[in-house]
Amino acid sequence: MIATMQDHWYPVALASKLTRSGRDTLLLAQPIHVRAEASGAPVVTCDGRVLPVLVKFGHVWTSLGTPAGDVFDIPEAHQPGRRLVEVGSVKVRCSPLRAVENFLDIAHFPFVHTDVLGSEPHTEVERYEVEIRDDVNEVWATKVKFFQPQAARSAQGGITTEYMYRVPNPTCSVLYKTCPPRPGEWDVITIFVQPLTETTCEVWPWMALYDDDSTMTQMIHFQQLIFLQDRSILENQLPALLPLDPGQEIPTRADMLSIAYRRWLKRHGYTFGAQLVAA
Amino acid sequence: MILYDYVLSPSCYKVRLLASLLVAGIDLRPVDFHPGAEHHSPEFRALNPAGTIPVLKDAELVLTESGAILTYLAAVNAHEWLGHDDPEMQARVANWLAFSQRLTASAGAARLHDMLGFSGDIDALRVQATDALRELEAAIHARRRRGGIFLAADRPTIADIACFPYAALAPDGGVSLDSYPSIRLWMRAIRALPGFIEMPGIHRLHEQMPEPGPMPDVVRKESA
Amino acid sequence: MSSIWIPVALSQDILSGMAIPAHLPGHDLVVWRSASGRIAAWHDRCPHRGMRLSHGFVRGDFLSCIYHGWRYGENGHCSKIPAHPDLVPPAAIKVPRFDVREKSSVVWVAPTGQAGEPVDYRGFTGFRSLSVNAPADLIARAVEGEERLAGCSVVLLVQALQGRGCNLHVLAAEGYDTAQLDGLSLAIEVLRRRLEQAVAT
Repeated sequence: MIATMQDHWYPVALASKLTRSGRDTLLLAQPIHVRAEASGAPVVTCDGRVLPVLVKFGHVWTSLGTPAGDVFDIPEAHQPGRRLVEVGSVKVRCSPLRAVENFLDIAHFPFVHTDVLGSEPHTEVERYEVEIRDDVNEVWATKVKFFQPQAARSAQGGITTEYMYRVPNPTCSVLYKTCPPRPGEWDVITIFVQPLTETTCEVWPWMALYDDDSTMTQMIHFQQLIFLQDRSILENQLPALLPLDPGQEIPTRADMLSIAYRRWLKRHGYTFGAQLVAA
Repeated sequence: MILYDYVLSPSCYKVRLLASLLVAGIDLRPVDFHPGAEHHSPEFRALNPAGTIPVLKDAELVLTESGAILTYLAAVNAHEWLGHDDPEMQARVANWLAFSQRLTASAGAARLHDMLGFSGDIDALRVQATDALRELEAAIHARRRRGGIFLAADRPTIADIACFPYAALAPDGGVSLDSYPSIRLWMRAIRALPGFIEMPGIHRLHEQMPEPGPMPDVVRKESA
Repeated sequence: MSSIWIPVALSQDILSGMAIPAHLPGHDLVVWRSASGRIAAWHDRCPHRGMRLSHGFVRGDFLSCIYHGWRYGENGHCSKIPAHPDLVPPAAIKVPRFDVREKSSVVWVAPTGQAGEPVDYRGFTGFRSLSVNAPADLIARAVEGEERLAGCSVVLLVQALQGRGCNLHVLAAEGYDTAQLDGLSLAIEVLRRRLEQAVAT
């Protein structure tokens, strides 16, 4: 049985930064409160009701419904030698689904992340492979390649980077990316999105990298730099809700992953932050 | 010179931007402002008791106010950026350096509220930001009536650098810049300066690049 | 006196190679001027992913979206998709356009195909545009017949913004010196404050 959006897990805090007084926030438009008990254990409440809670990938996760299992796993993230980077959250005035879709997009790199993740004239997006894996109910894209001037903090000069994208949850995505200092391994870069309302969200990037040279703060800053370049784009897309029906926007072959993501959202009724009929 | 720096701080960006425009070398020491709140740590507050960034350290000199840092960078590297040609120009620059604090306290605080969840009376902050932007708009229009565009002189000075980042990033805090045509032209003039660098939220002036032709073959070979 | 032509900006505020946001009732617009000086007014929305084109950039006679660099020519047709450099974009990809005119150094916009031309205020030139946080009808009533400000002969054009007050475009008779225009600018600021205070109380 496929979980509804209510039954999924969502990130609502960094476990390491949670305080006793905690914080008031929203989840799927419901007011919730997140705090730490004296023992340090996180507690999430919604209108007096205690919600399910667990800690994974450095974040506190909760759900308004009845989650069928644990938060999805990222087996690579447990490999020894990786640096786990808690980037912290940024609020964005956009649909949580638009935030994820932007994360799945590479064609914008030369224009939005100029001279870091992309640069003209290296704008071409070659054909890549996309599938909806029904056995695990995830969307995947593989064999994605793009030329990048500075693919990571640890990268020296431009390289053609290979990517794999994975959407295991309607508002979370995992990116596997060529690891400059360790060929053969993949850096893990994630975006965990907390849906506040249909048109606002809080984005919690998290990474598990092989990088022995950069300081933790340098790695945090690199990822914040990248994500904040996206923020002014996300706040200026019309309509605010992600259109799931064809007709309102024009995709191309480079958007195959976004097409699959939208189709998957629609099929499962993951429509918080989406627009079904063209306005 | 060491700049204690945060990549998303418009005040730190002022220093990075001026250093780039002046081709002045500075070493960056990243501060984990968010989520780490390193600027509140005892170690950082030993350096700057106010717990604010940026901080510029040059041997024994420690500067904690962005206006003073800009003044020092210009005085050391390119005197004409100080705008000290005559008493009137010098006073104008001083006035804009002080004014820039109003942008920080209004548009900047609205941005921290909307982006990083800081507390604040967001409606009041936006009203204050609008007041400051209107004042800036009127002043730039007055410069345009005299054939100029920059705030204090017929060339850019540290006055422009002090005011540019928080004005340009006002939309981050929910303050629209749609109705400020003179600010738009002034920002464009700053973005077109040789050596200009961006920060997140301020895009590259792609119009300055030539329209590229086809992908060079050499790159395709490298990627194979 | 009512016209389908809406004043959205002053010509002097849109240099060659610039794109700016503007507004018609019910529509957000991008108004942009090509390198060769031609002005255009379009829907402020890239058909690809809905990004506002007013954030885009102008190269030559083309406007490009900041998000993925899709490039549009003067007729609104997409001429290039950088992610697919060898692809000729289908003719169906185009941005809806509006009619646009420049008269008395004011940029006027109307839905396409309408008859008539905007008013030509001969002898006047654009001075300042500023937003007023008060309803347009109230402003229009307040400034009706206001032909002189600070000793300057002026034309005041009120442009309604949906839910966002209005823009006031001020035209001044040609030939004033800097001191007179400084006085006019102050008088406009006084007028705005007076109007906004009247609404607040």
